[in-house]
Amino acid sequence: MIKSLFVFRDALPRKTEIILGIFGFIFFLTIWHMTASSGVIRPEFLPTPFAVAQAFVRLFTERDFASDIIVSVGRVWFAFLLSVVIAVPLGLMMSTYRAVGAILEPFIDFLRYLPVPALVPLLVIWFGVGETSKIAVLWMGTFFQLILLIADDTKRVPTEYIESGHTLGASNGQIMRHIIIPAALPNMIDNLRITLGWCWTYLIIAEIVAANSGIGHMIWSLRRFVKTPEVMAGIIAIGIIGLLTDQAFRFAHARLFSYQRR
Amino acid sequence: MDKFIKVTDVTKTYWSEDGKTETKVVLPLSLTIAEGEMVMFLGPSGCGKTTLMRIIGGLEKQDQGSITLAGDLLAGPDRRRGMVFQSYSSFPWLRVRDNIKFGTRYRKDVSAAEKEEITDHYMDMVGLFAYSDFYTNRISGGMRQRVAIARTLASSPDILLMDEPFGALDAQTREHLQFQLMDINKSEKKTTIFVTHDVEEAILLADRVVIFSARPARVVKEIDVNAVIPAEDRRNNTADMQKFFSLRNEILKIIRAEYRQTMETI
Repeated sequence: MIKSLFVFRDALPRKTEIILGIFGFIFFLTIWHMTASSGVIRPEFLPTPFAVAQAFVRLFTERDFASDIIVSVGRVWFAFLLSVVIAVPLGLMMSTYRAVGAILEPFIDFLRYLPVPALVPLLVIWFGVGETSKIAVLWMGTFFQLILLIADDTKRVPTEYIESGHTLGASNGQIMRHIIIPAALPNMIDNLRITLGWCWTYLIIAEIVAANSGIGHMIWSLRRFVKTPEVMAGIIAIGIIGLLTDQAFRFAHARLFSYQRR
Repeated sequence: MDKFIKVTDVTKTYWSEDGKTETKVVLPLSLTIAEGEMVMFLGPSGCGKTTLMRIIGGLEKQDQGSITLAGDLLAGPDRRRGMVFQSYSSFPWLRVRDNIKFGTRYRKDVSAAEKEEITDHYMDMVGLFAYSDFYTNRISGGMRQRVAIARTLASSPDILLMDEPFGALDAQTREHLQFQLMDINKSEKKTTIFVTHDVEEAILLADRVVIFSARPARVVKEIDVNAVIPAEDRRNNTADMQKFFSLRNEILKIIRAEYRQTMETI
């Protein structure tokens, strides 16, 4: 029985995989619970999973955590979409016209290695502590990465597709709309999913530095009162939101690009 | 022989990235092809035959010389020269029928209803009706090449350029497609240039075989295959095998001599 689970590079039934995944979670939670309740570590540092679960409920019932979540999700999506609408056309142009690529690539390569957290003080000087500086942090963190990813996706469209388009009588614009974009779209959507994940990292940084609302702000202010269960519940909430978003993207990807299934 | 396609003194040189070393790919080369003719380009690998065909297709630019099609000077690719590639160029996001219909997408000479008819016509010709709604990553390599051929024909090019289209297929599928192409060729009478390194494939399909030298490419010999083995016999599998093999050996001898030269210069 156990042996059949460990066949070298073998496939497993979907159901078994799900059960194993749940088992992994339970295993982790058990270890956590045993460590926390053993008394070796003080509960201020490591509360039990149950204490965290209770704190999770308290966050919603006593501290209006839902509105913090809405604020944070709103910031992430606003900044993310702002990145997308500028990065996608620019990425397409970069891979289509060598000159655009030659101008932008070295500059972007430089910018994207600047650590975004280091830019936060500068952005606060520029934009203050309001919404603008938070959006700016998220935007800086994703835009330059995304533009290169999109350019790369379009560059990887097989030459044969494009040459076929030319010999079938398509104009350059038609090749872009009817061939390059549909061919690159599955990879682009995948990259959008990954970039959206980064947004959450930068969001917490932005909200910790300068905010009076949002998940990051909530976590940071609870820290002051050593409310460890609430802090952990807040972190887990981010994980759950991230997981749900990611799964939604994957689901949409599978539906939109069902032709990739073999 | 009327000169439907006329290649005049075409040259092509590739430069290494540092711009220091040059590789002459095509020497001043001239060639004419008649309307409706099926010409096979044969030659040692890397000899420049594909480059020449891509130049004719407008996908690469010659350094010097000119190419005319029915008297018109050609520059850049267009719908008059359809191309079938060795790698699968059918679009994975479209179903089989939509892939073939894509060939008619940019035609302004036919109505929307006619485009549907044309699509059905070529679906039928390549025998893919049963796979109409399949995405192309779920059909075999041979079927994908049939999709590519049908799509190109649906765009109604004046000439068909095929770059080792059956090169990646297994022997049985290849043979099947070779005979299918002969049937298509008989009904469509499409002027075709077909690049291959398979001598038997060349003899089987050709009106004329053009043998190229080792790089830089020049024409070593042209053989009118119809004069040796009638097309009808090849199509019906009733060709005189004696003649077939002696022609094959004759061609192989030339190619081997050219290939040896390449090896010596490397």
